[in-house]
Amino acid sequence: MTEIVKCALLLALFSVPCTRGTRYSPPDKPKLTSCRSPEKETFTCWWQPGHDGGLPTTYALYYLKDNSDTIYECPDYHTAGENSCFFNKNDTSVWVNYNITVVATNALGSNFSDPEDVDVAYIVQPHTPENVTVNVMEDKGWPFLRVSWESPHKADIRSGWITLIYELRVKLEGEEEWEEHHAGQQKMFNIFSIRSGSTYLVQVRCKPDHGFWSEWSSTTYVKVPEYFFRERSLWILVMIFSSFTLIILLWIVHMNSHSLKHCLLPPVPGPKIKGFDQQIFKNGRSDEILSALMVPNFPPTKSSNYEDLLVEYLEVYVSEEQELILEESKDSCLKSDSSTCDSDSGRGSCDSHTLLTDKCGEAKRERRASGEDSGMTIESQKGWEEEALSYTQEDVATPDVSSRRVKTWPSVFSTVPQYTTSPLDQKTSLELSKQHCLSDTLFPPGSSTKEVLGPNYWEFDLSNKQSHLPQPQTHGSQQLQAHSDVNISYTGNKQVPALLQLPGFKSTEYVEVQKVNQEDMVILQPVESDNCGRDEECPHVLQGEDYSKVKGVGSDNLLLLQSGVKARMGDEMEANGVSESCYTSSSFATTQKHIDSMHSATIPGQEEPIRATTGYVDTTTMFTLPMY
Amino acid sequence: MENAWFAVIALMYLKYSVMADAAPICSYGQATCHVPSLADLFDRVIQQSSRMHGISTDLHSEFDHYLPSKNFIGKQRCHTYAILTPDDKEKAQRLGREQLTEVILRLLMAWGDPLSQLHWSMSQDQNQDFNQYRSNKALEISDIVRELKDGVIKVAERMKRLGLNGNFVSYISPENVDPFSAISFYKRGELNSVDHQDLLYCFRRDSHKVKTYLRILKCSTFPTLDC
Repeated sequence: MTEIVKCALLLALFSVPCTRGTRYSPPDKPKLTSCRSPEKETFTCWWQPGHDGGLPTTYALYYLKDNSDTIYECPDYHTAGENSCFFNKNDTSVWVNYNITVVATNALGSNFSDPEDVDVAYIVQPHTPENVTVNVMEDKGWPFLRVSWESPHKADIRSGWITLIYELRVKLEGEEEWEEHHAGQQKMFNIFSIRSGSTYLVQVRCKPDHGFWSEWSSTTYVKVPEYFFRERSLWILVMIFSSFTLIILLWIVHMNSHSLKHCLLPPVPGPKIKGFDQQIFKNGRSDEILSALMVPNFPPTKSSNYEDLLVEYLEVYVSEEQELILEESKDSCLKSDSSTCDSDSGRGSCDSHTLLTDKCGEAKRERRASGEDSGMTIESQKGWEEEALSYTQEDVATPDVSSRRVKTWPSVFSTVPQYTTSPLDQKTSLELSKQHCLSDTLFPPGSSTKEVLGPNYWEFDLSNKQSHLPQPQTHGSQQLQAHSDVNISYTGNKQVPALLQLPGFKSTEYVEVQKVNQEDMVILQPVESDNCGRDEECPHVLQGEDYSKVKGVGSDNLLLLQSGVKARMGDEMEANGVSESCYTSSSFATTQKHIDSMHSATIPGQEEPIRATTGYVDTTTMFTLPMY
Repeated sequence: MENAWFAVIALMYLKYSVMADAAPICSYGQATCHVPSLADLFDRVIQQSSRMHGISTDLHSEFDHYLPSKNFIGKQRCHTYAILTPDDKEKAQRLGREQLTEVILRLLMAWGDPLSQLHWSMSQDQNQDFNQYRSNKALEISDIVRELKDGVIKVAERMKRLGLNGNFVSYISPENVDPFSAISFYKRGELNSVDHQDLLYCFRRDSHKVKTYLRILKCSTFPTLDC
């Protein structure tokens, strides 16, 4: 029983495959895929077999040559590999039409492929070029690649049997795209415009003039070394450009150095006299000085524009403590060289206070030593200074006068206060006169001057003054004092320094010298207000506010000013002035004028109407008048 | 009237005389004249043959594109089958310069008339639109063949003068083939487009032969870098 079962099982097992129905069939039609000749002397044909039908199948290739009916079979099935047929030289005829057919055969049958016509002359596909070499070469410092190769060794170029043309392609390592170049029949090619420091890949292929392209040759790698030479030239270029730029910048700076200097280090302004050469004073010759002082069109008439005569507007503020210093330092400091001054600018940078202070230390001491009346001297100096200051202030007695900008005459008129007039001390005055820088030039130090000065000097009673000083107007203007030897009669002024206390003195009002009368009196007039204009009537329309005549200098070292409102109140004032014991000196020599004193009295009643300004006297005029 | 006729005759004579006797202008060795060297002549000839083959390939491919390629083997052969041509490199090299030159000339001469016929036939065919292009190409080919023949003759004569072509005979007796019967190889009577294709097939092959033979001739005479 068990044996039967086993047999049945075996049968069943064997029958299973049978029942599946394996069919054997003749092979499918093969297909001739391609025939190729590498050198036009041999060729190979490949076919593709179809389904073999389950049975071992053999393949055969048969061909006909060019109209003959002789059937030939493939001579070589193995050389070229599987499913191929290789025709050697003996079997290959060019310009002969091969009609090729492949036959697949198995136990059940055979199958013929479609015949193909093949002419060897048109199926040439050479091998790849050989010995591809790439060299990096240099052309005037710039690198380039030189690619050279050889024809495939089997292709007979030399006899001219085949003519090959070449093509190569290059790409950077890591890039996708190739750059193709056609090289014609030459076996060498140059590639320019390559980057130094990179690696390139090169491939070459060839083709007969009528045929198929070969495969690309194996990749040749070439590394281009870094070319520092080229980079260096870049650096040189950069440096040249930057140096050019630097040179241009330096040149621009040099051209504008002056303006830059002005911008960064602006010069300090200082007082200047327009059209006045300070060098003349240094020379110390009186002739020249005086001639220099002669200004054409002077004195200016009422109608003239006073503003023109003013060189500058200075607002000078000097503290009390500095007064002394100023005074003392003024001595010869004004003689400081004006080389640093700009004669046209009107800025007397050379005449700064500090400069004066420094330079005049010694001189000051000398003077002090010389004049033991120094007390007097100093006092007088001081007083005058104060006077001057207060004068400049022009706040004087009038409380309503505000210190304004002071219009000053040029520095010619400065340092009047130094002319302290202690009638007792001629020497002092002389010294003072010497110390006065300007006056030094005017009165050159020397015995002659001394003698001249003699009795001719300012006499000021500073002591009086001091008591009368309304306020220590600390604005010091060295230039304010009307310093002259001319008798200035002051009429109708208030007490205290006439200059200061003149009734109705305004801060910024000027006195002009109208004329010098027969008595050698300088008649001062306040500057006309603007609305006055050139009207002749103006002088007559004396409002009484802006005019004052200096009648003389009182014994109290007061400038006696006469009220300008002569028409109206002149007499009155005069009378007042006289009544107040103004002393007028009658001497009117150039350097021999002196003002005995200033009348410190004021014309109480006349203040308002008079309201004369502080009398600014043009010393130039005063000097010149008597002299010439 | 008579003068006009005389002028015409004179002109015709001059033209043909120039054509018949292709004496070079520089034969007398004038200074300004540039006499081409043999190498130059070879290059020129090879260029022409290459161009000829290119045009023939183009024309044939056009026919192939539009008409299915028929089985040529069993039915016909080219009219130049009688011209024995080496079908092998060794055979060609063994042939020698003179014979090789002769083969070239024979081929070229054999194709002169058939190509003219082809051109004429193509121009007559009104059926297809692109026939004009083909007709022009056929005309160009016939011109090139004629020029190439003349060029090859010049080369041969120069070679002979230089002693390279000893036995060359410039005058080649025409083939024992009636020029007009050459066409009969392809069809008796009028040619049609199918006949055109056959003709072009044959011509393409022969032009390739000519080109190859000329190269071999040149490289055997001048083994330069090009070879």
